Amino acid sequence: MGKLKVAFVGNPNVGKTALINAIAGTKLKVGNWPGVTVEKKEATVKVDGKELYLVDLPGVYSLSPFTIEERITRDFLLKERPDVIVNVVDSTNLERNLYLTTQILELGIPTVIALNVWDEFRSLGYSLNLDKFEELLGVKAVPTVATKGEGVKELLRLITEEEIPIPKPPTYSQDLEYFIKKVEPYVPKGMPKRWTSLKILEEDELILKELSDKSAQAVKGILRELESFFGESGNSVVAEERYGFIRGVLKQTLREPVGKKRTLTDVLDAIFLNRLLGIPTFLLIIYLVFKLTFDGSGPLIDWTDGFINDFVAKWVSAAISGLPEWLQSLIVDGIIGGVGTVLTFVPLLLFLYFFLALLEESGYMARAAFVMDRLMRVIGLPGKSFVPMIIGFGCNVPAIYATRTLESERDRKLTALLVPFMSCGARLPIYALFTAVFFKEHQAEVVFSMYVIGIVVAATVGVLLKKFFFKGSAEAFVMELPPYRIPTLKMLWTSISVKLGAFLKKAGTVITATMVLLWALINVPYGAPPKDTILGKTASAIAPLFYPTGIKSWEPVAALIPGTIAKEVVVGALGQLYGVGEDEEEGEEKSSFTQDLKEQVVGFGQAVKDSFVAMFGSFKTGVFEVESEEGPVSKAISKAFTPLSAFSYMVLCLLWIPCIVTLGAIYQEFGTRLTLASITLTTIVPYVVSTLVYVGGRLIGIN
Amino acid sequence: MVSLPFCGEGKEVRVREIKGGKRALERLSSLGIYPGAKLEVLNTKGGPVLVKVGESRIGLGFGIASKVFVEEER
Repeated sequence: MGKLKVAFVGNPNVGKTALINAIAGTKLKVGNWPGVTVEKKEATVKVDGKELYLVDLPGVYSLSPFTIEERITRDFLLKERPDVIVNVVDSTNLERNLYLTTQILELGIPTVIALNVWDEFRSLGYSLNLDKFEELLGVKAVPTVATKGEGVKELLRLITEEEIPIPKPPTYSQDLEYFIKKVEPYVPKGMPKRWTSLKILEEDELILKELSDKSAQAVKGILRELESFFGESGNSVVAEERYGFIRGVLKQTLREPVGKKRTLTDVLDAIFLNRLLGIPTFLLIIYLVFKLTFDGSGPLIDWTDGFINDFVAKWVSAAISGLPEWLQSLIVDGIIGGVGTVLTFVPLLLFLYFFLALLEESGYMARAAFVMDRLMRVIGLPGKSFVPMIIGFGCNVPAIYATRTLESERDRKLTALLVPFMSCGARLPIYALFTAVFFKEHQAEVVFSMYVIGIVVAATVGVLLKKFFFKGSAEAFVMELPPYRIPTLKMLWTSISVKLGAFLKKAGTVITATMVLLWALINVPYGAPPKDTILGKTASAIAPLFYPTGIKSWEPVAALIPGTIAKEVVVGALGQLYGVGEDEEEGEEKSSFTQDLKEQVVGFGQAVKDSFVAMFGSFKTGVFEVESEEGPVSKAISKAFTPLSAFSYMVLCLLWIPCIVTLGAIYQEFGTRLTLASITLTTIVPYVVSTLVYVGGRLIGIN
Repeated sequence: MVSLPFCGEGKEVRVREIKGGKRALERLSSLGIYPGAKLEVLNTKGGPVLVKVGESRIGLGFGIASKVFVEEER
């Protein structure tokens, strides 16, 4: 016997994932549905000698074809035809949850209902006549508490041991049944008859499109007849009939508690959604997430960086000292450097994913969207996209991943394209270098102006993109605000580990490969002066293109390219290209491998300690601290730039192609097309803006 | 009959009519907001509206909320 295909279907936030987790445990695999950024969770498990293929379909409220999630779930049910559907419902919300159930029952696929959150249902004072409920819906129902694994055994026993019958679909009023009969003959072959008939009456666009011209004509006539009969659109009629059926079932089976208690959710919402306190509270929470993420991960990032460069690189160098020098450089600077870059992001993402998961699982994220909705709608984005934008000020990479919390693909893509304009921490050293030379008196103001320019450019580009590429308005805000829950560590960990794994695998490989490529650009031919390398030659060739931005020599142009490794590399690259170089490292002390290893372990302990101190030692964040050093580079640039061209160059660096890791993240999340779009956008926009700055400055007489 | 954003907070209301397109209608009804449904209005202060449908809380943007017309229950 083959595998039994079991699909888990239900509303968002009903505990589908927790349920599948309780069954599959570590066997759960998480990926994406093809072509979209919606998570796909699946697992193959063996229960009592039977193989089950479990798949968690995206949470939906209905089988209509509007959102991506709805389309995925619906396509899977119609095309893949699972052997069994487990319809997971939130018992405390039966009426609403059963709306989806009525549609599932019409598909003609064996179905079981999991009455989840049963513990809360009981403690709220509800009770249900289970036998009667099963009889009226014509399916088996199992009370479950997914988070505690209760009811899972019973559910599995039902799936594996019994022959689950095909449910009998709900019956509606005689009038509606008349119309259902009438459209039945026009249902395309291979589609479930009753379900499709009702979808036709609901004027489901995708299905109406599949009808032949003749059928479509006939169906139109029937729909018109229905509308004039009921005095309402088919859509409303069917919805009301579905709810009529549900209320009939619940009237006979459900006992609601008398009198309502003020729940914890009511109390917290009174604060978080308060007209006056809502936005300040949101800003405070986001600030804390920002601070804890960046300050907490900082020491660990430094340790990882040191571990790779001072320990791994050092001992690998020692081990391969017999190889030709160029090959050593390729291995140490190219490959280890590349892998190292990827690894240094692990602590940062670990912290970010932890806090985002905390916000999401606790139920606060939905409140943030509610509170910020009105403000963000001005630039055509939903309230939630405020979160990735803010995180972008710390680092663009986690900001790209934070777009996952947005519901619509359109909003997600638009936000991801705008994030790189947020000035991240790595751009600060560039500002520090230039402002120290040219704007000594107004260093803070000039740096601040960079942040403002980033925001203004993002808003402008957002409006333009919306006008020409992302037509249609941001999804109307309709959203369930789930009850507040204390997330379990297990839930948080699953969420974190899955995302980190994906970053290492997918983004990691792309980033490492690009780093090796960049190494070649900068170092081939090996040992040649900077001007004669591939990089130098290319930069010299395209330098004239940058004249309008005020940059008149090839070195700053060339520095932009290694700058894509990480923006702060621009500073070091300028030094190398101007031939001033950094001071050679002091003659290294001789130390043994074991000594070094010990040092690394001690260093790690210190980093963990520092991380705690940085997170909880003070309320201020250290992200925006500017360290400026005087060095030979300063002298070189003071000759090569004027204040105006320096400002223009800073703007160019601010808006220029984000670092490779950000691009890797965009590639991982959205694929090649959007990555190319992002690269195009972040070359054209900085060029235009810098030119405007330079030309505008010249016009009003600044040099 | 009054549209949802202009309801008093804490009021129990019954949906009478939804004057929206097909899509808005379908989205709302799948969340339990359909003509005949009983709602509790929790928060209408400026901008979006928060209503309680059964035990679940649904946030509605001002635009879509103003298409929902309700009558107060006594």
